[in-house]
Amino acid sequence: MADLALRDLVKTYDKTQVLHGINLDVQDGEFVVFVGPSGCGKSTTLRLIAGLEEVTSGGIEIGGRVVNNLEPKHRNIAMVFQNYAIYPHMTVRKNIGFGLRSSSAPRAEKDKRIREVAELLGMTDLLDRKPDQLSGGQRQRVAIGRAMVRDPAVFLFDEPLSNLDAQLRTQMRLEIKKLHQRVGSTIIFVTHDQVEAMTMADRIVIMKDGHIQQVGTPSEVYHTPANTFVAQFIGAPAMNMLPGQAVENGAILLKTGDLVKADLPVGTGRQVTLGVRPEDLTDAAAEPFLEGQVALREPLGHETLIYVTTEMGEFIAKADGRRPPEVGATVRLGAEQENLHIFDAETGSALA
Amino acid sequence: MTRYRNLSIKQKQIVWAYAFLAIPIVFYGVIRFYPTGNAILISFQDWNLLGDRTWTGLDNYAKLFADPTFWKVFKNTFVYLLIGTPVSLVVSFFIAYHLDKTRFMHGFLRMLYFLPFMTSAVAMAWVWRWFYQPVPIGLFNNFLSTFGIPQIAFLNSTTNALPSILAPAVWAGLGFQIIIFMAGLRAIPQSYYEAARIDGVSTWTVLWEITLPLLKPTIVFIVVFSSIGFLRIFDHVFNMTTGNPGGPLNSTKPLVLMIYETAFSSFDMGYAAAQTVVLFLVLLVVSLLQLRILRDR
Repeated sequence: MADLALRDLVKTYDKTQVLHGINLDVQDGEFVVFVGPSGCGKSTTLRLIAGLEEVTSGGIEIGGRVVNNLEPKHRNIAMVFQNYAIYPHMTVRKNIGFGLRSSSAPRAEKDKRIREVAELLGMTDLLDRKPDQLSGGQRQRVAIGRAMVRDPAVFLFDEPLSNLDAQLRTQMRLEIKKLHQRVGSTIIFVTHDQVEAMTMADRIVIMKDGHIQQVGTPSEVYHTPANTFVAQFIGAPAMNMLPGQAVENGAILLKTGDLVKADLPVGTGRQVTLGVRPEDLTDAAAEPFLEGQVALREPLGHETLIYVTTEMGEFIAKADGRRPPEVGATVRLGAEQENLHIFDAETGSALA
Repeated sequence: MTRYRNLSIKQKQIVWAYAFLAIPIVFYGVIRFYPTGNAILISFQDWNLLGDRTWTGLDNYAKLFADPTFWKVFKNTFVYLLIGTPVSLVVSFFIAYHLDKTRFMHGFLRMLYFLPFMTSAVAMAWVWRWFYQPVPIGLFNNFLSTFGIPQIAFLNSTTNALPSILAPAVWAGLGFQIIIFMAGLRAIPQSYYEAARIDGVSTWTVLWEITLPLLKPTIVFIVVFSSIGFLRIFDHVFNMTTGNPGGPLNSTKPLVLMIYETAFSSFDMGYAAAQTVVLFLVLLVVSLLQLRILRDR
């Protein structure tokens, strides 16, 4: 086990720079999730850490040792691939044992280690099967087993759940998290799914276009997003964004002429974006600031999402699950002051 | 028409399936199966192509198995097979394996290796025949003589002639096998190699435990395909040994050449047909054995 540090990490393919100086410190035993849209550089970062790609500039430290020029096998890492990369012609036992091929340990000890891992993953009775006799979830477990058997300092997961169906994904998410609690190794997990990121991570790294947008606990990135990108990327459905202008007393004047009470720390006249999550925007607010017609309803049982058409466009709000407003009805929406997110309209950075 | 309309969807599909299948079946029946059956029939007869066919029973086969030339030819055929197939397999895999990793001039190199496969076997045989000539004509002997190395009788030696003919035959087939191997190599997911790199196993282990096992279907195909090719070798031998077909003391003569001579020089159709039947059985047995041995395990 070890901590991991990325120092001004830059990666360039030919003339295209895909990572623009990534800095990150990962504590020993931490579960860190890299999340972002495709092409944001999260997988590239992982492959740089693994040693599958060469670093253009900057440094990678694992356990305090710079590993830039070390072969993957000398970095003391293990990786689980999106397509599992388990060998179809080998049994589960051989697949898991493949990670020990280069180890000089005696055979009996290797066998013992394989059995331990199989037991931990609950697949002792599958050891003599071939991959084509396994379900998707079981294959996934074999891939994890092969990574675990070497007892690496850092586990790297490259979108390992993308090939599973929704139900299995939820289940494997839990299993991986439980595994982390039991084994306690450092884990770097790459995904494009913000739900996976939120549910599994100790800390989330949100990336876009080769830059880190925000690093923080799931609660931090959800409740205090650093900018509009993070605000809209984390949480589903995405945060509503309302353009406005700062006026006296820290309030915001929306384009519709409605006034929203807030504690803006900036001077009057500044263009701002008001962010409100759909679950915070309700038709039962004490001081509503937005009026519109219900265009569509999405009943979710405990609540109903309503799509409301206003002068400023369409916004999503939450309504009562039992008695939602009818389609076409006029509703007045508002939110608690503490649930308002205010961003600079130009830079997108959070103001309050 | 109404009868067709009353059929169920399944039955209509069957009608159409057979309609399309009928074309190749009829075609093969006429140009393949009928002559094959006829050849087997002739192998029990005496026929000189013009006169009457007369039944001779197993005489042709008895004559064949008593003929020392046949056994010589039989042995030659298997030498072509047993040297040609492994050599071409290893060489083509070696080239494909490395060409697959080469980015520089990849397309050009691949074209270069494929070129012999597109060249006429006759033209190629005559060019190689020129290579093998003694000084001052032959390329190889000229080259050897500049270093003072004694002449080698490539085609005029009972020991050298067969390998000398096998060489261009192997070379001619390489291009095709390389392309097939490269397609097989491309089909192996890159992440298998990346996972192995992270696990830190040696290149040798990767080759033996990942690449080759995953290439098995490709290898089976190439082995069976090239074996059939070597068992039927003819044009290279024929064109490189005209004047003395089959080389000195029949040292290069394969079965097909013997069949050709029996049929179209001696016009002994019954005897040639018997040889053909033997060749057919050899091909059948060898192919089935290879599929059996290589497929499962």
